[in-house]
Amino acid sequence: MPGKVVRVRRRERLGWAERLYLPMIFVGLGVTARVFFRNLWGYIIGKKKTFVVQYPEERLDYADAFRGHPVLVALEDGKPKCVACGLCEFACPTDCITIIPGETHDPIERIPEVFDIDMSRCMFCGLCEEACPEEAIVMSRDVELATYERGPMLFHMKDLLRDEDTLGRRIGFIRQDYDR
Amino acid sequence: MAVELLERVGELLGDAVIDSHARLGDATVLVDAGRIQEVLGALRDSDLRFNVLMDLTAVDYLGRNPRFEVVYHLASVDTEPHGTDPARLPHRLRVKAGVLEDPCEIGSATSLYVSADWMEREVWDLYGIVFKGHPDLKRILLYEQFEGHPLRKDYPKERRQPLIGPLN
Amino acid sequence: MVTAKKLEPGGKSDLHTDHQILNMGPSHPATHGTVKIVLEIDGEQIVDMEVMVGYLHRGFEKECESGTWYQAIPYTDRLNYNSAILANLSFCMAVEKLLEIELPHRCLWVRTLAGELSRMGDHLTRLGAACLELGAMTPFLYGIEARELVWDLQEMLCGARVTANYIRIGGLQRQVPEGFEDRMAQSLMRIEQLLVDFDKLVTANRIFVDRFRRTGMIPAQRLIEYGVTGPLLRAAGIPLDLRKAEPYLVYDQLDFDVPVGTIGDNYDRFLVCQEELAQSIRIIRQCLPVLRKTRGEPVDVDDPKIRWPAKDRVFGRMEELIQQFKGVTEGVKVPAGEAYSAIESANGELGFYIVSDGTGKPYKVRCRAPSFMNVAPLREMMLGGMLADIVPTFDMINMIGGECDR
Ligand code: SF4
Ligand code: SF4
Repeated sequence: MPGKVVRVRRRERLGWAERLYLPMIFVGLGVTARVFFRNLWGYIIGKKKTFVVQYPEERLDYADAFRGHPVLVALEDGKPKCVACGLCEFACPTDCITIIPGETHDPIERIPEVFDIDMSRCMFCGLCEEACPEEAIVMSRDVELATYERGPMLFHMKDLLRDEDTLGRRIGFIRQDYDR
Repeated sequence: MAVELLERVGELLGDAVIDSHARLGDATVLVDAGRIQEVLGALRDSDLRFNVLMDLTAVDYLGRNPRFEVVYHLASVDTEPHGTDPARLPHRLRVKAGVLEDPCEIGSATSLYVSADWMEREVWDLYGIVFKGHPDLKRILLYEQFEGHPLRKDYPKERRQPLIGPLN
Repeated sequence: MVTAKKLEPGGKSDLHTDHQILNMGPSHPATHGTVKIVLEIDGEQIVDMEVMVGYLHRGFEKECESGTWYQAIPYTDRLNYNSAILANLSFCMAVEKLLEIELPHRCLWVRTLAGELSRMGDHLTRLGAACLELGAMTPFLYGIEARELVWDLQEMLCGARVTANYIRIGGLQRQVPEGFEDRMAQSLMRIEQLLVDFDKLVTANRIFVDRFRRTGMIPAQRLIEYGVTGPLLRAAGIPLDLRKAEPYLVYDQLDFDVPVGTIGDNYDRFLVCQEELAQSIRIIRQCLPVLRKTRGEPVDVDDPKIRWPAKDRVFGRMEELIQQFKGVTEGVKVPAGEAYSAIESANGELGFYIVSDGTGKPYKVRCRAPSFMNVAPLREMMLGGMLADIVPTFDMINMIGGECDR
């Protein structure tokens, strides 16, 4: 569709009100005062009108799609759902996943013996979740990972395992997209 | 469109063109590296008017001869006003020139396009290709004490650099 | 390198004056990102300067060469962290050009919308930060509130506010969630209100106008020679916009205008960005009905060799499982060849030149970063100018460290 070129309107000469500094400052003050009284009124009647959230006391509810750090889904008996196929390891751009597979005598024979994610390298991209053929690694809703040392940033399997019901929201969300 | 453009470019440049193709709609010419300044100058000043050097980079084809290829992306932007119509970009051209491993050098385009200045410094920095005639060829993205040229295919990704102390 | 020169003796003043060398940056609050500017100043006047970039170089191109095509997409987020989706888009479009694939209709519209959303985020940051760095904290907060709304929408769309990782080769990360269109329409209204307030606070304020008007000027012809594109070039009066000049996605079906400035000073740049925001809102408003109408249509190409197969088939069928394995471990097999594809990003022409050797890994990924090209003329813009004018000029250039240094 043919759009046209529009020339932006420059104020080459300011009006007297603008040249006097003060009147325009009052216009600006008007804008801020309006917002101030709106917020104050919201405070008085108990309905929050401010945009700013007092983190960490107040928290926002992130969107359903939110990607926190990756975690492993645990089955009812506490064992990981993962079958140590290594696809997430391949998919990860930063090589932060380390898997050493092992075997058990359970109906699902393969199980990871070691499953480490180096969270200091993980960039929360979600490619591991997309690659997994077992729905065994999903993105959680946690992002607060700060530590004083680097050691605790290496998450082992026991730190990563989460019950399936605590991850319900994420799993429900990614399932919506399974038929694409 | 790309094919017509290549015909005109071929006529203009004559035997400086070694090869050309228009795959995927990108008109591409491979030219003689020794005559690169002449070629770019002709393209800029002819009625094709390639007035913008959009991009300049290099590719390392390790094991091929010539080893490097310097790639110029030229565009011709129509700067004349056309009433209320937006400016047009009638054509783009990719010019490539092979550069040997030794001597690893090619003529500089800085006298023709100002934008070549920083981009040539970048290519020198990352590939180690010398641009003859560049006024101030020094590293731009990396620091002076860096050893080697990281985008060469024989530069291992994990290689560590020596620690440098404060300069003064 | 800039070196101090003694002034010629025998000047009018008896005062012994030298040119002074001043380092601005690499960590300076006004150089968002890290860039070092070495200045030679005579009083407050700039005699010579050198811009040194590269402090944020992370080896993007080298890193891309060691992974698969897919694995490069999250890295493109980190180029211009204000408008990650546009970088995703440009990279994926270059790969798709080599693959020669046709995308589904809905995918194109969603990509357009997501790209415009990203552009709004970038412009809002630029305008807000420009005020902040001149000492006006209040307008910054209005701009950032609007940007938060934009980023909330982006989070709803793709799961992250900044590092979107949204566009995929041959499709999108996921379908647009339920209720997105309504939330978007609401947010757009609020953003428009905020922009009106922003405009009232700044554009007629004399302190602001005095600092922006007639600073950082450079003739349009020089900008062309420097390879500068985007709002900077348009502010100088050349209406080059790749969305119009080489329409990609669905821009040829959309109705929008190209704002241009008159003389190309910082004031023009500011106004052009403001107007572009309005145009972006206009484009998004045209995309929304199409998104509503085509809900349920696929957004990915139906080719497991390019886009990993849908999960319910991977879970249930052997063939798709094998395709998933091959897709992840070997990556997309992009035919050997080279391609260059460019889009109009918030800063100008963002292009990717890629070379494939037919394996699953990129042979070469080159990002033609608009920020890199746009900072180069800073020296010429500032010579003879005042020290204090560097800040607004630098803001309007909107150099993004991650994109400039890659
Ligand atoms: S989120 Fe990305 S970086 Fe982190 S483990 Fe998964 S694939 Fe690797
Ligand atoms: S892709 Fe899934 S099943 Fe395979 S190793 Fe990773 S988490 Fe386990």
